[in-house]
Amino acid sequence: MPLAWRLLGIACFLVAWQAASSIVKSELILPPPPIVLKALATLSTTTKFWSSVSGSLARVLESFLLSIAIGLLSGFISGISQSAKAFLSPFITGVRATPVLALILLAMFWFPSSQVPVFSAVLMAFPVMHTSAEAGIRSVDQNLLQMSRLFHVPKRVMLWRLRVPSALPYILSGAKNALGLSWKVVVAGEVLSQPRMALGSAMQESRLMLETADVFAWALVTILLCGLSEYLFGLLTARANLVYLPIAPQADARSSMQDQGKYEE
Amino acid sequence: MSMAIRNLRKSFGDLLVLDSVSFEMQPSSITAILGPSGCGKTTLLNILSGILAADAGAVTGLEDKRFSYCFQEPRLLAWLSAEDNMRYALASLQGTNTIDQRISRFLEEAGLTEFRHFRPHQLSGGMQKRLSLARAFAFPSDILLLDEAFSAVDLKQKIELMQAFLKLWKDERPTAVIVTHNMHDALFLADQIVVLSQRPAHVRGILQINTPHEARLFGSSELAAYEQQLYGLLGFIGLDQDTNMSSN
Repeated sequence: MPLAWRLLGIACFLVAWQAASSIVKSELILPPPPIVLKALATLSTTTKFWSSVSGSLARVLESFLLSIAIGLLSGFISGISQSAKAFLSPFITGVRATPVLALILLAMFWFPSSQVPVFSAVLMAFPVMHTSAEAGIRSVDQNLLQMSRLFHVPKRVMLWRLRVPSALPYILSGAKNALGLSWKVVVAGEVLSQPRMALGSAMQESRLMLETADVFAWALVTILLCGLSEYLFGLLTARANLVYLPIAPQADARSSMQDQGKYEE
Repeated sequence: MSMAIRNLRKSFGDLLVLDSVSFEMQPSSITAILGPSGCGKTTLLNILSGILAADAGAVTGLEDKRFSYCFQEPRLLAWLSAEDNMRYALASLQGTNTIDQRISRFLEEAGLTEFRHFRPHQLSGGMQKRLSLARAFAFPSDILLLDEAFSAVDLKQKIELMQAFLKLWKDERPTAVIVTHNMHDALFLADQIVVLSQRPAHVRGILQINTPHEARLFGSSELAAYEQQLYGLLGFIGLDQDTNMSSN
């Protein structure tokens, strides 16, 4: 049923797009969906298309992994220590409030064009990861913490067996948001910094040549890649939740085990 | 060497919780602290274990003692199996073999060997409590503190839990302190019952029980006699004989 509603949503969007295009009657301003799909099909046969996709994908992966690493580290420290939280909070708030375009323009002074999108995306995405990791660390069950302390569980064991698994749902949710944000900021950064082999650069070139259908096609590719990566990440998340947090299906698991005669009481 | 609590006093702000509490415990004995809910039993337990400091009074014979704990709720890590939950609590011990041996031994005595790879959500409430008990016993200690560990389960599970407790306790016989508001729990398990009053708690009386655990059958005349004495200490004679004092 959700799939049917999803497909219906997409169909309505395409109908609205087609209707708007028919009203505007200008392919230069708003090309209809069939023209955009045709442009996308044509582009996908070129080497430039695949090199742009791979170039942007590499930048997104680089910025995503860096955001995760930095955000996890700072978030964990912030979650464990109030002093560290107070120390880091002005920086995090400052970065969060900085407009992404201002960041990209500044980064263009400091970095080669290929790394401008990465730097910008890291600065935009890592605070998301930071906040999630911090909230996750703070969400740990105080009763379990007290139990661990009373049993003198070493801090290293407590970190990996209690704090990290407790924080995992927050971390995974933050990472998913960081991934989507990385795509948006990387492509925006590419539009401005114009590196070689980039979806954003190709988008900008098409705009300069007034190829509106191509601009739409490049945007569509970005949306599809972002959606696909979030979907794949969602599969990983579901797997991790299954391994670490089998809490939700409690009643089902128990009754099914009773059915199988494995359950004692 | 016996352990003694002398004139213990504790308040939180203006609220006086413990007022001149005194009693003694013999090594390898089971002491039940019996009193109404909210009278300060857990506070007393926390002072014994050193989590809280008393305002006045003295606790002797507990210096350099190792403590283990069993809580009212099982406090298990949902993502770890039964044996990994025990391994987690024993992480401060040296020697993998020793840890594995203790885990196997206490899981077996708690009747959970075949469930060692199960996670908490796959176990019933009673089994989770037994696991929590097994974990408390597996952690090498001189003194075992149990805070309402036999509450919040149905009668069948409670009896199984108390039997599991006695079986585990007889293995190494740590000095056990059981906090409870249920007099039957105390009568069934304890060698001595320290009866506390309403807050601010003081000791209303101490009942020594000399009947061996095997002979403590509910309904027996011997246990009934102890029960009458306990009612007397609690000041319940002639009143509704509700043994669960949480409503008082």
